[in-house]
Amino acid sequence: MTGTGAPDPDVDPGDPDLRAAEYVLGTLDAREREAVARAAARDPAAHARIEAWERRLFPLAETIPAAAPPPRVRAALLRALPGGADARQIARLRGQVRRWRMAAGSAGLLAAGLALFLAVGPTLEPSGGRYLAVVQGGGTLPALIVRVDTRTGIAQVRPVGAEAPADRSLELWYVGAQGPRPLGLVGAGQSQVRLPAGAAPDGVIAVSVEPPGGSPSGQPTGPVVYTGKLLAE
Amino acid sequence: MVADDATLRRLLAGIARGEADRLAELYDLSSPKLYGLILRIQRDRGLAEDVLQDVYMRIWQAAGAYRPDAGPPMPWLVTIARNRAIDSVRRKTEVQGPELESGEDWVARIIDPHDAAVAFQDRDALAACLGRLEPLHRECVVLAYCEGRSREELARHFDRPVNTIKTWLHRALAALKTCLETVS
Repeated sequence: MTGTGAPDPDVDPGDPDLRAAEYVLGTLDAREREAVARAAARDPAAHARIEAWERRLFPLAETIPAAAPPPRVRAALLRALPGGADARQIARLRGQVRRWRMAAGSAGLLAAGLALFLAVGPTLEPSGGRYLAVVQGGGTLPALIVRVDTRTGIAQVRPVGAEAPADRSLELWYVGAQGPRPLGLVGAGQSQVRLPAGAAPDGVIAVSVEPPGGSPSGQPTGPVVYTGKLLAE
Repeated sequence: MVADDATLRRLLAGIARGEADRLAELYDLSSPKLYGLILRIQRDRGLAEDVLQDVYMRIWQAAGAYRPDAGPPMPWLVTIARNRAIDSVRRKTEVQGPELESGEDWVARIIDPHDAAVAFQDRDALAACLGRLEPLHRECVVLAYCEGRSREELARHFDRPVNTIKTWLHRALAALKTCLETVS
């Protein structure tokens, strides 16, 4: 019963149906896979060939035993969705911006601002357009010191204790009334970044954990680990 | 546990409208199945978890493109999961993973009637047609599909040149297609 009906020895390896079959089987290399996927996106006939092979081989997928994924995947997935915890955190930051704007004169904030100045010890010029943010996580030590000049639109970033988890990048954001805008990745040394046009001094600087090279979407996708408010210098 | 088609369709429709709760429900119903598939192909658990999350983000974005008239939802979900898993192992250029031990008899499992979300006739037809292939060719097809093995890995496993594996795969696939067309 096996070995009968020997297939045609003249199988044409360039046959598009065999390419589709190998695509579904998974034996093409990365470049070939990409070429087939691109062709299928343009050509309905190529797409149909792939779908037919998916149907033919699907019963094999049914044989593979299920495995429960660890709960952290579900949590990370829901956090990453729009409206998920990360998006809610950004919304909360936006709320904080508004509250800080209203409470700008409050003694508590002034005291906190003063304490930060003392900790950082910069030259205190009463200033036109110059601001400082001490970006903090949960602890008492600053993670980043960001000095902003709204007249030039340049911010100087100095990491103090910011540590990226392995295989991840830390990305810096300006969160204003329009939502988060990417400023760039946090490097090991001091760096300069350009603020988005219209950046106002009542914004918040935040740092999120992103895939290597930064958020692929232009919005924070990972957890926000540090935030800090801009204070007039 | 396998969710019924009607439930999965309802959830996909909700996801297409941007309802995150429906995605969470779909995840609860389907993630063990998809994670099982991914883990057979991408054996690094950390990377397999990344692939799984990526698969559901893809489902979140693509749910609107699911057409109920094109087929039941589970094969659609499985296709996304297999594609992402295979992409994740093919993108690495270096030799990956330990030599396969190939303990599972996937062909025997296909005939085993307890895993049955797919129509009996489809399953039986594929099992019958796989059964008619040359045993080594069949093993190549099944190891590639179920475990995501590349031509190079198969060549090492069977101690044959890559070109021979290519020929085996092509003959096996052409024969499968012909057989399935006559059986069904």
